[in-house]
Formats: sequence, structure tokens, C-alpha cells
Amino acid sequence: MKMKLRIIGSLAIAAVSTLILGSCGGDPDSPGLEYMPDMYRSPAVEPYVDYGHIKERENPELKTRLSAMTPPNGTIPYYGTDSAEVYLMLPYKHKANDEFRETHGMYGEELSPKSINTYELAATDKNPLALPAESDSLAYKAFWKGAEKLFVANCAHCHGEKGDGNGPMMANETYTGVPDYKNVAATEGQMFYSIYYGKGAMGSHRSIVNKKEIWTLVHYIQRLLNKDYGTADFEAEADTEGEEAEGEEVADGEESEGDGEEG
Amino acid sequence: MFRNFNKWCLAVMTILFLTGSYTAQAQDGGTLFKANCATCHHPFNDGTGPKLSGVRDAWLENADEATLILWVRNWQDAAAQSSYAQQRSTLKGSAMTAFGDKWTDEQILSIFDWIDAQVQDDGSGGGGDAGGAEGGATEEEESSLGWIWIALFAVFATIILAVGGVRRQLKHAQVEVEGDEEGATASYADELKKWAWLNRKYVGLGALVVVIALLVTLFQGLYSINIMEGYQPSQPIDFPHQTHAGINGIDCKYCHNTVTESKSASIPSVNVCMNCHKQIKGNEPEQQAKIQKIYDAAGWDGQKYTGKTKPIVWNKVHNLPDHVYFNHQQHVVVGGLDCAQCHGDMTKQVEVAKVQTHEELNAVQANIDAGINFTKATLTMGWCIECHNQATIAPGILADDNPQTLTYYDEIHNRLVKHNKSLYSKFLDDDKVSPRELGGWECAKCHY
Repeated sequence: MKMKLRIIGSLAIAAVSTLILGSCGGDPDSPGLEYMPDMYRSPAVEPYVDYGHIKERENPELKTRLSAMTPPNGTIPYYGTDSAEVYLMLPYKHKANDEFRETHGMYGEELSPKSINTYELAATDKNPLALPAESDSLAYKAFWKGAEKLFVANCAHCHGEKGDGNGPMMANETYTGVPDYKNVAATEGQMFYSIYYGKGAMGSHRSIVNKKEIWTLVHYIQRLLNKDYGTADFEAEADTEGEEAEGEEVADGEESEGDGEEG
Repeated sequence: MFRNFNKWCLAVMTILFLTGSYTAQAQDGGTLFKANCATCHHPFNDGTGPKLSGVRDAWLENADEATLILWVRNWQDAAAQSSYAQQRSTLKGSAMTAFGDKWTDEQILSIFDWIDAQVQDDGSGGGGDAGGAEGGATEEEESSLGWIWIALFAVFATIILAVGGVRRQLKHAQVEVEGDEEGATASYADELKKWAWLNRKYVGLGALVVVIALLVTLFQGLYSINIMEGYQPSQPIDFPHQTHAGINGIDCKYCHNTVTESKSASIPSVNVCMNCHKQIKGNEPEQQAKIQKIYDAAGWDGQKYTGKTKPIVWNKVHNLPDHVYFNHQQHVVVGGLDCAQCHGDMTKQVEVAKVQTHEELNAVQANIDAGINFTKATLTMGWCIECHNQATIAPGILADDNPQTLTYYDEIHNRLVKHNKSLYSKFLDDDKVSPRELGGWECAKCHY
């Protein structure tokens, strides 16, 4: 009987020690052991890899101290050799208004002098992105489908899928003050400016969408305002109206009362 | 008769016009505020324009109501007339919209009525730092649990040794009394050997159990090396995906915006956070503390950017070794995958992000629809190729969703039809073409 008790005792010790050894889980922030650590990190620097933590050793010199940052001023990504595409991506010709330093955090970048309101200057800019003709049905469908996806991903949570300023953020009152596009008097150049540098409460979106995508969005917003925008009928209409109208899209943007989100 | 009809029409139109203008007048100040002012103004927070709560009282004190109304109509006129208005006009860098004769005086005042009727919710719900304290407590509990085990182990060991010692001394005493020489010189080891030999059945069985247990633990340990499932590192800010992607319906691609053009889906830079958080300051103190970290990072002092920024160093959750090439763009744009198929339903993720387990991924609707059922742990190679075998490449989904890739897959289908019809029909045995059949299981697709 005594012996049996001792056996149970020693088994208990074994079980407890296994448990204790097994509980040495280590740091919950460490992704754990690796099979072949020397094959895990590229010698070339890759994004989002912490080179300070290799083979369970910490190297404070190489440890990541930065998070994602906005691209450096004046950098132009490589966009291939298609001149039309590259032309779209050239640096934006308007500098941001002087007040954007404090309202939109544009430090360390050249802004326009106080006397020049570049938002006003942008009013006459034309959308350089050519729309595919409706007759070219595949390209036409692809363009508008792509534009819609872009809009839904980047704008719709505030501005709403119809552009009525009633996206989910507004609907559940997390955010206030997003206008209906109908109530915003902005030409296509000013739409670009507002997306690129921000406007009022809206922040700059240039780090999220590139210039071609912004011009695509500008087309899409105009289509939200006028469902015929970009169709064959629309082109014909614009032609018949001649030079005075300077394109339906501008007239369309100004048909509202002129109470934008200025100020 | 016709004349009469015209008169009727006129009368009806007049009535309509009158009721129309009446309803416009009675329009709620709140509606007007939200439609026209809220873009720049908030009752209690400074935005592009100053906060409006208490503004009317201040104007009544320093100027008069007429000047306030004039300010709304055209601030420059008001600034020219009143010194107080002149002083206010220098408050903000950007000029206010001149609303002109858009509204009647009553309507403008109704806006201020609405503003003054608002009650500020300062969020003093008493939540305090309860969340943070709680987090600390559970962590402490866990580590103290470990200490309890060690202490218990020490206590047991002491008891066993003490009992053993007492027993030994008793035996020594017995030996002294009885004069048994052999037993007196026996060491611990000799005694143990003797005891083990006497009880060889039990000892053998026990040893077998221990060895098997150790082997099982060893293999489990080896199999868990580099298994990322459930990995949930702490983050500098406890970011709730549920609030952002779930409640507020923000598309994954808004913040992780490089996912459509790059190998990695970016962690958003702080300016993306500020697109909304410039206005959203949080209701609970706990939220406010978290959002304050964004402000510190962006250098936003509540009124303006100060230019003093500070990086937020996030911890990476999904790690792949360098000898595996994975490209987000290929999967999201060309493959048309939903983010949830690999990352799980983040709209329900209240805690910080983690590597979802494959069981959780199997519950994702997009995976059920696509007929994908994972059996291997998330982020392992088995898991990757499992999906490459089960997923479908069909012109159907690509045509609807991604017209720009239509031609590429059309081309593949066409070439197969043209050059190797028997292979193509073999592919279509299960009514689908899988990535595996188009080379998704080639080693060099991912390892090179």
C-alpha cells in the first residue's frame, strides 16, 4: 500500500514537472521558433520586417523604430514607359494653400504663398484622363466598374455609394458634416484638388490614391451627379451645346447653389 | 370653362407655393445645420470652423443678433460693421461661406436654437481606465498562476524529501537497534535500485508512460514550430477592427490601400487615421486615450498640426519567411479573393488583429461559397496549397468582377481549348479549373 502511494507520488511529480516545462511559452509578442532562421529574412530590406529580431536575438541597432510613413515630398513612383500614363503621374502643378500646413499637417513641403489661393486656380483644370467611348463596350465597362470599386473602397464610407453624403459613417452618426455632392460647387479641377490635398475636414488622400485614380474618381463623381456622364448621348449633347458650355460636366457641378464646403 | 381651369391651376399653385415656403420656414434647425454647417462646424468641437455652442450668447454679449445673422449671410459685411465680428474674423485661417439670402432670419436663428439645445456628452461614463487596468490584471494573473505552480512544486519536493529523510533516519535507528549492517551502508541510489527491482512491474509501466508522454510532447513541440495560428501580438494602440470595418463599414482597402498594387498590404500611415480621427475624438475615456496616441503620432494638438510627429510602431501579425514569395495583388486583383478568405471576418474582431485559425476561416461565407475547406493550420504551406487545389478559376467571376483580367484568363482557356483539348476536358472533370491545374502547385511559383 505504501509503495503504491509512492508510485502515485512520483508519477505526480513527473506530471507536474512536464506541465511546468510545457508552460514556458515565452513572449506572446514573439512569433515563436523558426525552422531555419537564416532563410527567413531577406538580405535585401523588405517592408514590415523587423531586422532587430533575428534567431531569437535582439539587435537594438536594427530594430524597427518607424511605422508606415507618407511618401517623401517630390517622389515620383515608376509608372512604366507609357507616356500617356506617365504624363498623368507628373507632379501636380498646384501647391497646397498656405493654411494647409496647420489644417492638414503639410509640414516640410513647399506651399503656395498666402496671396495665392490655389483652390481657385484649380477651377479651370481639365481632367486629362480620357474616357473610353461607350461603343468600346469592354473598355467602357471595365473603366466604370473599376471606378466604382475605387469609389466604394475609398469614398463611400463617408460620401455614400450614391454620393449623397450618407455613407455608413454618417448613417450611424460616427461622423458629421459630409456634404451631398449635389450641394458642392466644385469643378473637376477642384474635385482633384480636394481629393489630392483635402478640403475642410477631409484629409489629403494623395498617399492612398494616385493621380490617375483621383482623375478616375473625378469622372465617377461626375457620373454620380449626372448618370448620362460619359455615355454616347452625353457626348453628343455636349457637342451640340458648343463652346459656350465648355463641357457639360462643369455646368453640372455649378448647377447647385454655390454653397460649397468653403471656409 | 378653360379660363376657370386656369384660375384653378393658379390657385392650386399659389397654395402649394405657400405651404412649401411654410414648411421650409418650419424646417428644423438641426436639419439645416447638418446639411449646411456641419461640414466645417461642430457644436462642441473646433473643426475647420470654430465650435458653435455658446456662440450666440457671446455675440449677444459683445455685439447683437443682427450682426450675427449678417455674419452668416456674409461675414465680411459683418466684420466691416462690428469690431467684435472683426476680431472673430481673424480666428480661423479659412474664410466662411457666404450664405447670402439662402435663409430667413428665423431659419438662421433656428439653427442656433438647435445648437444651444444640444447637450454635450463628455463621456464621463465612469469607465475610466478600467480596460487598461483589466488587461494588466489578467496578465498578472497569468504570470502569478505560473508562480503558483512553481511554489506548489517546491512545497511537494520539500515534503517528499522531508518524509524521505525522516524515513531514512527511522531506518538508521532501526538498524542501530537491530544491528543489520547491510542496510546501514546503503546509499539513496542503492535503496532506489532495490526498491525499483522489487516493484519492477510498476516502475517499468510508469517509465513507459513517462517516455511516451515525453515523446508526444516533443513531437507536438516540433509540429508547433512556426505555426502562426492564433498569434496575436500586442499593439501600440488596441485597434478594434470591428468598429472600423464592421460598424462604420470602411472598406479594408481604404486603410490597407497598397493591397491592390503591391506584394504587401500596407499598415496605414497615421495620416489615413487622421482623415476621420481629426473629427472623431472618442466618447469613452478609454477610446479617447487610444485616439490621443494617434494625435501624438500625427502631431495634432486638437486645433492644428504642430509638425511634431512620432511614429507608431505596429507589430506585424502575419509573418511569412523570406523563402516564400506571396503577393497580395495577385490574390486580390487577379484572383478576386475577398480579404476575409485568408484573414477571417475582421468586421467582428474586437481585440487586436490575430492570425485566424483555419476553423474560423472555414466559417467565412466567402470560403463556404467558394467550396474551400481548410484542414491545415493557417499560414502553413499545406494551407496555401490546399486552397490552390480547391479554389476555382472561372471566367465567370472574373468577367463580372475584374474585366481587366478577363483577357488574360480568356487567353488561357482559349489556348487550352486550341492546343490541348483533352487536358482541358480533364481539368473540367470537376467542373472547374483550379489554380493547381494552371501551375499553382509548381514549387517555383512561390519558392525561388
